Amino acid sequence: MIDRRIALAGVVAMFGSALYAPIARAAGVAATPGAAAGIPVISEGPPSVAVFTAPQRALMTALSERVLPTTDTPGAIAAGVPAFIEKLLADWAAPADRVPILAGLDAIEARSLADYKVPGANATAAQHDALLTLAMNDQIPSGSVFFEAFRQLVVTGYYTSEIGMTQEREYLPVPGEYNGQFPYSQVNKVYSA
Amino acid sequence: MAETNRFDAIVIGSGVSGGFAAKELTEKGLRVLMLDRGKMVEHGEGYTYDGKPAYEVPARNIMPKPLVDSDYFIAKHGYVQPSNREFHNDDRLNPYAYDEGSKFYWIRPGAVGGKSLIWGRWCFRWSPEDFEANKRDGIDGDWPIRYDDVAPWYSYVEKYIGVSGSRENLVYLPDSEFQPPMPMNVAEKWLKQGLETKFPGRKLINTRLSNMTEDKPDQNRTKCQFRNQCGNGCSFGAYFSTQAVTLPAARATGRLTLKSDSVVTNLVYDAARKKVTGVRYIDAKTGQAETVQADLVFLCASAIASTQILLNSRAPGSDRSYFDESGTLGRYVMDHIFRVGIEGDIPGMEEFIEFGRRPGGVYVPRFRNIGGDEGVGFKRGYGYQGSAYRNPAAPVGFGASMKQGMRKYAPWRFSMGAFGECLPYADNKVSLHASKVDRFGVPLVRFDVRFRDNELKMMTDARAQGEAMLKGAGLTNVKSSESEHVPGDAIHEMGGARMGRDPRTSVLNEWSQAHAASNLYVTDGAQMASISCVNPSLTFMALTARAADHAVQSLRKA
Repeated sequence: MIDRRIALAGVVAMFGSALYAPIARAAGVAATPGAAAGIPVISEGPPSVAVFTAPQRALMTALSERVLPTTDTPGAIAAGVPAFIEKLLADWAAPADRVPILAGLDAIEARSLADYKVPGANATAAQHDALLTLAMNDQIPSGSVFFEAFRQLVVTGYYTSEIGMTQEREYLPVPGEYNGQFPYSQVNKVYSA
Repeated sequence: MAETNRFDAIVIGSGVSGGFAAKELTEKGLRVLMLDRGKMVEHGEGYTYDGKPAYEVPARNIMPKPLVDSDYFIAKHGYVQPSNREFHNDDRLNPYAYDEGSKFYWIRPGAVGGKSLIWGRWCFRWSPEDFEANKRDGIDGDWPIRYDDVAPWYSYVEKYIGVSGSRENLVYLPDSEFQPPMPMNVAEKWLKQGLETKFPGRKLINTRLSNMTEDKPDQNRTKCQFRNQCGNGCSFGAYFSTQAVTLPAARATGRLTLKSDSVVTNLVYDAARKKVTGVRYIDAKTGQAETVQADLVFLCASAIASTQILLNSRAPGSDRSYFDESGTLGRYVMDHIFRVGIEGDIPGMEEFIEFGRRPGGVYVPRFRNIGGDEGVGFKRGYGYQGSAYRNPAAPVGFGASMKQGMRKYAPWRFSMGAFGECLPYADNKVSLHASKVDRFGVPLVRFDVRFRDNELKMMTDARAQGEAMLKGAGLTNVKSSESEHVPGDAIHEMGGARMGRDPRTSVLNEWSQAHAASNLYVTDGAQMASISCVNPSLTFMALTARAADHAVQSLRKA
């Protein structure tokens, strides 16, 4: 039974810090049974509610790409991370889980207007990086809370996407064998779970 | 009634016990009806997400919070995911109750195959010590059987299902009939050497697992392919499940009728003849109730569900079950206590990683109180399950440098968790709720089960010893944790209808046969009079095969 438990613990280990609530729940570390009514169907397709205003969505999309940018492999936008984030916050998370994300986006928006005189979505990549750094270092209101939550969303969305699992990482559907002493030098990419 | 005389035996439940009962009874020539409350899941085609990566599973295989809150608020403790959700119970539709201050996680399956589709697959024999423990400790509830009574049935079951593991010749943990073990990785081998050198007498061994390392072509089963996606269902049939192993065997006889979505509410009893004369069940799809008859009944619905069915089998207007002449029905409910974890970094060996995703890991067998009370402040003992692994490096900062940084693996880490034995307490009980009933009209199970001083002291020791062993073996940054101990959380719940020699203090006799009805056998976790500290499913299978043999011999004599 331990492997199930360890597999889930691995999600936690990936971040090595306090977990943003939806990710924590998925990893089984939170314990908050609720009594809400619901239908046992997993919502798929477009988000059932608009989580973001158009400017917020544009800013969130741009920032996701700065967290996991296109390099020699595709980045967050190509991997569909912005859509994953909006879908998760709309239908797969609690409404309260949107709060730190929206608050952080609004704080970054305000700072962009103040510092660069442009809406956040129109800032340059370098300016986005500077704004994300301010958030990371908690130098804007609710900055670090936003940064940690947002980074976990982007990382989770990216490394569970087809691009993340099969291009950035390598996915072996059927390894067929186990070698517990495999030379690291023969590994090209991190293996997806 | 048309159903009369169609069946020689009825098996209630289709998990590790029920499936084995159906296999054994049909192979011995009986016409068997197997009832299960869950939905039908066929081997292979019913495993919707077998082989599917996260991006092909709804919600990236992360359980949506609203769905957890509404329908899976208990199942979440049983590792439910979108990819295996159909194998799990819906907690909203099937409620239960517990008393204030005695929280219990009753983690249930929701499909044919029962927990054999969602189990952890670790397989251990009990030791002679385990069967003698209650007697030795002067605890009420001596087992009416000993290791030698069960040993041949362990062999029988192990050879059939396929158990991988290493021969160790340990007093406390008898060897099974093994296929070759799942190998240890380089870091686990290093830890084994350090731990066993520093702590003479303690061992770190290969796991013993129902995941096979050799094919069983006669059963159309292929050895483990190291995907470690067992919980999605395994079309290779590499691990034991009812679907992969016992159901095909039972079907091959042509004597099995399987009805899914069939919720057994109670047993019909003839007090004059001291026989069960029928099984009443409700079709979950139509709500229609029916009573079906057979000469023999195997109750294998799981420890708590079987106890619930027994409790609910009573004369009209009576609170007392037909099977509770002793007053022990529903009592002595136990679960392993296990929310202690220890982990640390394993230095070096960074030139190696694991290739393939191995299920299982390594095991530190019990070393406390073997052969007598060692004066450590508690009775019995615990073992640890763990593994060494390298995670991908954690994200640092953001952007291209973070992405690049996550292209490597972090150093080796090792983590393990303790599984401790819980003593049998008469006051740890389940009963029927006085006023609340479920959608089938069955009174809810009401839990009043708590861990006591012995279990908590044992966990304190497990935490301290675990830290000492990992530090002693040379790990760094060793940390331990202990979280809320909730009975049921280990999903090893047992007891409720225990075996014993005396009908005045037990529900079942030494053949898992009801004292009150010679044609009723209860062969799942309900029968357990104590629970060892090792994973129980293998023992349920062995006791089931043993009981089936006894039942058929008894029928032939009659």
